[in-house]
Amino acid sequence: MDFAANLFSAGTLSQILVGLSRTTILFIVSSGMSLILGVLRIPNVAHGSLYMIGAFAAWSVIQFLGGGLFAFLAAMIVAPLIVAAVGFVLERGFFSYLYEREHLMLLLLTFAFMLILGDLVKIVWGPEYRSVTVPAFFQGSAEIFGLPLPWYNLFLLLVGPCIAVFLWLVINRTNFGKIARAAAVDGEMVGAVGINTGWIFAFTFVLGSFLAGLGGALIAPMVNISLGMDHTLIMETFLIVIIGGLGNMWGALLGSLIFGLTQSLGILVWPQFGIAFPYLAVVAVLVVRPRGLLRSTW
Amino acid sequence: MLRVESVVKSFGGFKAVDGANLHVDAGEIVAVIGPNGAGKTTLFHLLTGHLAPDSGRILFKGKEIGGLPPHVICRKGITRSFQVVNIFPRLSVFENVQIAVLSRERKTFRIFSPVKGMAEEEVHRVLRSVGLFDRRDVGSDLLSHGDKKVLEIAVALSGNPELLILDEPTAGMAPEETDRCIRLIRKLSEESGLTILFCEHDIALVFEIANRIMVMVRGGTVVQGSGEEVRRNREVQSAYLGESG
Amino acid sequence: MRRSAAPLLLLLLPATLLALPHVLPRFHTYVASIVLLTALLATSLNLAIGYTGLYQFGHAVFYGVGAYGTALMLTRSGMPAPIAFLVGPLAAAALSLAMGVICIRLSKLYFGMLQISLGSLVWAVVYRWYSFTGGDDGIHGIPLPDAIASTKGAYYFTLAVTALCVFAMYRIVRSPFGKVIQGVRDNPVRAAAIGVDVKLHQLASLVIAGFFGGVAGSLFVVVESSVFPDMMFWTFSLEVLIMCLLGGMYTFFGPFVGASAIVLLRVFASVHTRYWGLILGTILTLVIILLPDGVLGVFVRRSVPKETPGA
Repeated sequence: MDFAANLFSAGTLSQILVGLSRTTILFIVSSGMSLILGVLRIPNVAHGSLYMIGAFAAWSVIQFLGGGLFAFLAAMIVAPLIVAAVGFVLERGFFSYLYEREHLMLLLLTFAFMLILGDLVKIVWGPEYRSVTVPAFFQGSAEIFGLPLPWYNLFLLLVGPCIAVFLWLVINRTNFGKIARAAAVDGEMVGAVGINTGWIFAFTFVLGSFLAGLGGALIAPMVNISLGMDHTLIMETFLIVIIGGLGNMWGALLGSLIFGLTQSLGILVWPQFGIAFPYLAVVAVLVVRPRGLLRSTW
Repeated sequence: MLRVESVVKSFGGFKAVDGANLHVDAGEIVAVIGPNGAGKTTLFHLLTGHLAPDSGRILFKGKEIGGLPPHVICRKGITRSFQVVNIFPRLSVFENVQIAVLSRERKTFRIFSPVKGMAEEEVHRVLRSVGLFDRRDVGSDLLSHGDKKVLEIAVALSGNPELLILDEPTAGMAPEETDRCIRLIRKLSEESGLTILFCEHDIALVFEIANRIMVMVRGGTVVQGSGEEVRRNREVQSAYLGESG
Repeated sequence: MRRSAAPLLLLLLPATLLALPHVLPRFHTYVASIVLLTALLATSLNLAIGYTGLYQFGHAVFYGVGAYGTALMLTRSGMPAPIAFLVGPLAAAALSLAMGVICIRLSKLYFGMLQISLGSLVWAVVYRWYSFTGGDDGIHGIPLPDAIASTKGAYYFTLAVTALCVFAMYRIVRSPFGKVIQGVRDNPVRAAAIGVDVKLHQLASLVIAGFFGGVAGSLFVVVESSVFPDMMFWTFSLEVLIMCLLGGMYTFFGPFVGASAIVLLRVFASVHTRYWGLILGTILTLVIILLPDGVLGVFVRRSVPKETPGA
């Protein structure tokens, strides 16, 4: 009886909103992965590492600029750019040579880089965890439905849709987007028509990496920035993309919503095993619709 | 032995097979011909369980088999060779046939006996009957194209079928290989009374060995009959020649 | 394996393995035990991935369940040790069957991902269930029968069980079933056309792989007297996959070689550096780019004579 009361209280609502702000981060990172998966057909296990680098890089930028709102905003831009650069190196330097190989090989190669990048982060930033404090501008909470919701979470709830709209515009309204979508369906044809697929692929990977880095930078004030961030996130991201439909942006959104919300509600309903709820949801979805909820590009 | 009645199969909006009819009696050699895209391979997929019909009936020895999975249909006595060579590339010629024999003998779950010499006699028999005995230890992906297609037939034979379906058995073969294949098909029919259904683009070949011919155009059956009947049929003439007479 | 080398190895290898604990210090004997059981684990994974062609990405969960099954039996039930050592692998096999039935409908990447999801579910439950499984602490100080509690005893037990299991798997691979699942791997359409129930055979392969993975987990309990939830974490699954790849997925002893190499390298590296990830990642990258068939794969390719193609 107790958890029923829990479920229907105002606490639920605020828990849902917290869940939704977590969804934002998941969506940003997953959309990056979905892009890479859809267009390049790379199951990028290193995506979590890129996210982690984004978080650490944000910390560094903020340290460098001495904290405060400006430093924070700068970090939100610079950190993802750094990660995008890393992505560029990875794609042009390594992954692009193996596009002809089976997916298993590419997946293992990205896993190799997850290991390498993980240790590189350890080398550059050391093994202790870092933290970033929310700048004064975002501190404190607003009152929603009579309960406090941190301003930062609200900020995230706004950022999410903005990114979604931005991505939609890029994919559906730009030349790049059109070509990328065509390449997702038939890469060979696109090349045969005379378009230099190399740069399209590179840019796609860079954009995907940027998104991963952005996710990392945005979550920095909310968690301990530590090694091991990559492990949990990459699993969640993969599962989100799978249940949403490989390569499908809306699928990434849907998957993130399912994941974020089942986790928040799960913790509310059964605190001890709340973290298992998203996995349960994933299993349920895959049993019913093995190819994901929305149409995949594979 | 085999009756196909008004079978329909669509993909999206496209009707690959549209009301096809076919009957094959025991011991016959029946050929299916038709222009490209007429639906011959789709029909064969429907017969062997790789596709399920949207409507219509497929009866084998009086029992409905439409929609059953391939391995079940194989056990009922229908085996096939594929249009595009479809053997086990990492295995030798001997092993390719051996697997098929072991499957027929239902020994596929034996896990503790070594497979090396198993069913050797039977495998050799099959290989001899198709003329691949001397190449039995060669890796199957190293065979010439013609030999690979013969191996396809050998693998299909290993299932001891009552009805053997061959999908374009001479596709891509050189003339001598084609002759060899024709003689093989004749031999199989005459010596073991095997019922054979095949499809081909080589019309001369078809008229040479088939007892009866079924012509498919745009997914449907235009005529089923002897070579003469088919030759005289107007629709067939216009389908192939584009004009009447 | 090369014909000329085989008889020699057949003599030297067992002799070396048996003499090991008397010659090496305790820590090295312990490492040898770990090498053996990890090699068993890798070989069991290869049954699913190399021989049957399934994208088995979540194999560590069977290892973990085998270990936890045995550990829990030893610490909580009154049952004698031999029963405990059977329960672990059987639980792993049962889980493999259950997961297999759910996952087998999917192919390739989806199969792998669903398996990881289910595995993560199991991991999450074990990780949080403090009262039963010890949560993120795991279970320590597991009581073992005296004969196998010492480092030497554990080693001999591990050696015996590993040898038995590897031999069993070797027989399986050389059996009709082994040939058929390879056929299923290479050409499932053809296999179905010759009467093979593809899904059923794949399921059988999964259960066998899961069982032997669980045995490896039980051996870990003997060697370490502890279990940890990280044993079933997905990153470990991929590490075991790397071992198979490194050694050669299409040979029987490839994973054995790969596992030995990686475990030894890791032990050696951990003495000198904290950056094992970097090393493993670099090795993997090099293997993927340069040696797609794995180390042993290179040798196998060379020693198979080129057949003269039919005229």
